[in-house]
Amino acid sequence: MPSASLLAQSILSGILIGGLYTLLGLGLSLSWRFLQVINLAHFAFVFLAAYLSYQLIGVAGLNPGLALLILLPIFFLIGIALQYLLIRFSVNEFASLLVTFGILVLLETLIQWIWSADFRRLETSYGTASIKIGAIYVPIVECLMFFVAVIVAVVTWAWLKFTYVGKALRASAENPIIAGAYGVNHKRLAYLIAGISGATAAIAGVFIALISTLAPAQVVVWLGVVFAAVILGGLGNPLGLLVASLVIGVSEAITMAVTAPTWAPLVSFTLLIAILILRPHKV
Amino acid sequence: MLEVRALDVSYGDAPALWGISMTVGAGELVAVVGPNGAGKTTLINSIARILPSRGGSIWLDGVEVTALPSQAMCELGVALIPEGRRLFVGMTVEENLEMGCYRPAARLHRVQGMERVYEIFPILKERRRQIAGTLSGGQQQMLAVGRALMARPKLLLVDEPSLGLSPLITQQLFEVLKKIHADGMSMLLIEQNVAIALDIAERVYVVEGGRIVSTGKPKDLLATRHIREAYLGEDVEAGSR
Repeated sequence: MPSASLLAQSILSGILIGGLYTLLGLGLSLSWRFLQVINLAHFAFVFLAAYLSYQLIGVAGLNPGLALLILLPIFFLIGIALQYLLIRFSVNEFASLLVTFGILVLLETLIQWIWSADFRRLETSYGTASIKIGAIYVPIVECLMFFVAVIVAVVTWAWLKFTYVGKALRASAENPIIAGAYGVNHKRLAYLIAGISGATAAIAGVFIALISTLAPAQVVVWLGVVFAAVILGGLGNPLGLLVASLVIGVSEAITMAVTAPTWAPLVSFTLLIAILILRPHKV
Repeated sequence: MLEVRALDVSYGDAPALWGISMTVGAGELVAVVGPNGAGKTTLINSIARILPSRGGSIWLDGVEVTALPSQAMCELGVALIPEGRRLFVGMTVEENLEMGCYRPAARLHRVQGMERVYEIFPILKERRRQIAGTLSGGQQQMLAVGRALMARPKLLLVDEPSLGLSPLITQQLFEVLKKIHADGMSMLLIEQNVAIALDIAERVYVVEGGRIVSTGKPKDLLATRHIREAYLGEDVEAGSR
């Protein structure tokens, strides 16, 4: 058994990585539920944003907040552009998986072409800063990332739950024809949600640039675990995604501490398979 | 109010409606009756513009609306109560009503609209936080009517409201529709239950095989042998009634 402090440290890092999973999964979850697009390219968008952050913060010396402000509208537009293409070529839900996988590979190649296959690390004074509380180290940027993830998830949830636009999106996802007959312009809402999904990639990208080492091959590293979190949390349910991300993050971290890091993926996929067997109608 | 001229509708290459012409006057309650598969739902969906037509035209208050999308029909004051209700079953009763008043002009009257619906259907107020899919069939149909009323329509398109409901619930529902009509609502009603449709309608079209085969006031139709034999199950030969 690991010591109590190691366990506590693991749980903390599990919670914090859960924040990252939430940020990564939100765009995927929204576009899957409301656009019937399983957007694998989202992971490439995230890394494109991360590399651009590396460029803006590390090379141009911008403040990360400013970098985020620049990237948000850009990725909002990228999300809309992708949705335009998918509508233009009337790509259905299953085909979207293939098409966006193609885009993912293209973007990965593009990233490799621009930034090479070498590891890139954004060196900042605060990137690895942490405060020591008792025997536990609390990394500051990752804490900030976690709080941003919670805020983004809660705000998105409330937006979907309480606003007319949110309700229209949910109604449209259930029955687009009848929603249309009651005045919902599905196409316009689709572009909005595609843009928002894209913008969440910018948020995730900035934080990944700050806390992690970048390499083109990293693009697919979180794909499996984020898929598990999105499905566990329920499509289009930001709060469910947050909870699922935390559950997966923490159970992975505990598994790593108790056994070995290589066993971590077992947790998320065991949970995913269990949920697919026990509650398949939820997917 | 509504005028349909020589409407043709087909599914792919298979024609479903041939040259349908009909009108609904302001404040009038018009019923369309006919057997299963006659094209009644096709007709009403085409009027709501959720189904495209191939020929002919549709006019609303003297304005041609044939080329408009369904959202625009909603803006112009046409509300559809679709066959099988087709509620947003994963959303609450209240959210379904709110979707009814999604169009900006109706949204301004959200509170009054909801009060009115709850007055007509008190059970919906009790259940307002409940998920629509968990309501009974009768309550779901009430919600479908309520959702349409929230849109503040001038013309209500009602498709087969009695579907799957018990005779008692059906009767209650028709009392409500009658009352809504008495308050001045124009209504186009599609109904398989011919007896009940003839009872409430002011004018009736009989559709068979995608064509209008006869039309008139209920009492005139009731006098014809075809209606009595085919729809009311009477044996005219034997001289019953």
